[in-house]
Amino acid sequence: MLELVRVAKVYGVKVVFKDVSCALAAGSVSLLVGGNGAGKSTLMRIMAGLSRPSAGAANVADQARVGYLGHATFLYPGLTAVENLAFWRDAYGLKLTRDDIMAGLARVGLEAHAHERAGVFSRGMAQRLNLARVLMQAPDVLLLDEPGTGLDAASLALLRREITAARQRGACVVLISHDLAGDAPLADRLLALENRRLAYDGLPAGFKGFAADAGRPNAADEAQGGPACCA
Amino acid sequence: MLRLMFAMARKDLALTLARGSGLVQALLLGLLLLFVFSLSQGIGERMAPQGAAAVFWISSAFCQVLIFNQLYALEEVNNARLGLLLCPVPVQAVWLGKGCAGLVLLLLAQVVFLPAAVVFLGQTLGGPLPEALLALALTDIGMCAMGSLLGALAQGQAARESLLSIVLFPLLTPLLLAGISVGAQALGAPSPDGPGAWLGVAAAFDAVFLGAGLFLFAYIYAGDE
Repeated sequence: MLELVRVAKVYGVKVVFKDVSCALAAGSVSLLVGGNGAGKSTLMRIMAGLSRPSAGAANVADQARVGYLGHATFLYPGLTAVENLAFWRDAYGLKLTRDDIMAGLARVGLEAHAHERAGVFSRGMAQRLNLARVLMQAPDVLLLDEPGTGLDAASLALLRREITAARQRGACVVLISHDLAGDAPLADRLLALENRRLAYDGLPAGFKGFAADAGRPNAADEAQGGPACCA
Repeated sequence: MLRLMFAMARKDLALTLARGSGLVQALLLGLLLLFVFSLSQGIGERMAPQGAAAVFWISSAFCQVLIFNQLYALEEVNNARLGLLLCPVPVQAVWLGKGCAGLVLLLLAQVVFLPAAVVFLGQTLGGPLPEALLALALTDIGMCAMGSLLGALAQGQAARESLLSIVLFPLLTPLLLAGISVGAQALGAPSPDGPGAWLGVAAAFDAVFLGAGLFLFAYIYAGDE
């Protein structure tokens, strides 16, 4: 479904990462972790086709079926929630009715705010609307870059339900998260970027934390489920 | 591709016309230019038709710069540009959609500028009106094709307004000359050759600018750093 072949990214003389290879299957959730500046978001942008790798290749079964939720919400503040989704529906060429859009808003708990401008939404509401935009696409490859940012506990639970639902319908989900404890149970696989390479690729339970954290108190505990060890 | 183009144009017009700020600024700048040039005449004097047509097109050109800066800025607020790049259609749909929205806004502005030019600059419409309208349409299409292309290029730059003006105006010179020449004839300037040759120039530059936009836009409007 999504394959990276010896992917490298270089900015000028700075190597962000190199020789990153993996193949991610349909119906799976992969958690991508790494320290600040490790290149997680850059790697995800390469997966989405938004950035070109300096070397290697990122192959996606169907680039048109990629859903991407990044740090930016892609929302137009001057449009209402329903107008935003209607625009992206038309832009992506989706055959959805207005009722489908309203159902999408209800799915993320925003039906009462359908006719409010996105510019007045809180960060969490904007992120939920952003999530509705991505889910509306029903993508085969779902790329989520720290989607929990700004979400309250209920919204986080909703997000995790939607990730599970996406996997069950056969999507390949890649998730960047600061919350290893909360998100590792969702994942079938964990990819860790460290020292400019893919340092770990395996089951989340087998991940022992980063080498750089080896001497830090409680690092191993955090890696097994403690708070905020990996981002 | 057409679906994204129409969605883009509809969204841009809704945002610009509903909020009004981008269009109002452009209108005010154009009207200010017309008014300032009108001060160069004495009381009761009439500006030469060639000069009046030039002032009209200068106002339109500066208005266009503000319009396209405004239109491309809409995508920069929450980085919607990346979302557009993920759409499963050629990215040229964005260029066409922005160009169409810009054309409508420019025509709306010119609906205000034309009577203002007649009043402030003491003109009367007495020449070949159908040819003048054709020249207006051809010049506007070329201006918007190039404005939409270079508006994307200037976006994200610190001095985008001045950058767009500096890059755009030299390229538009032949089109503006065509618009000015045919416009001057519409305002009563004598022309032994008629507007035909200038209309041909405008049509040729439209073809070049439209071709350049279709070819170059994908290189300009990209997600990579």
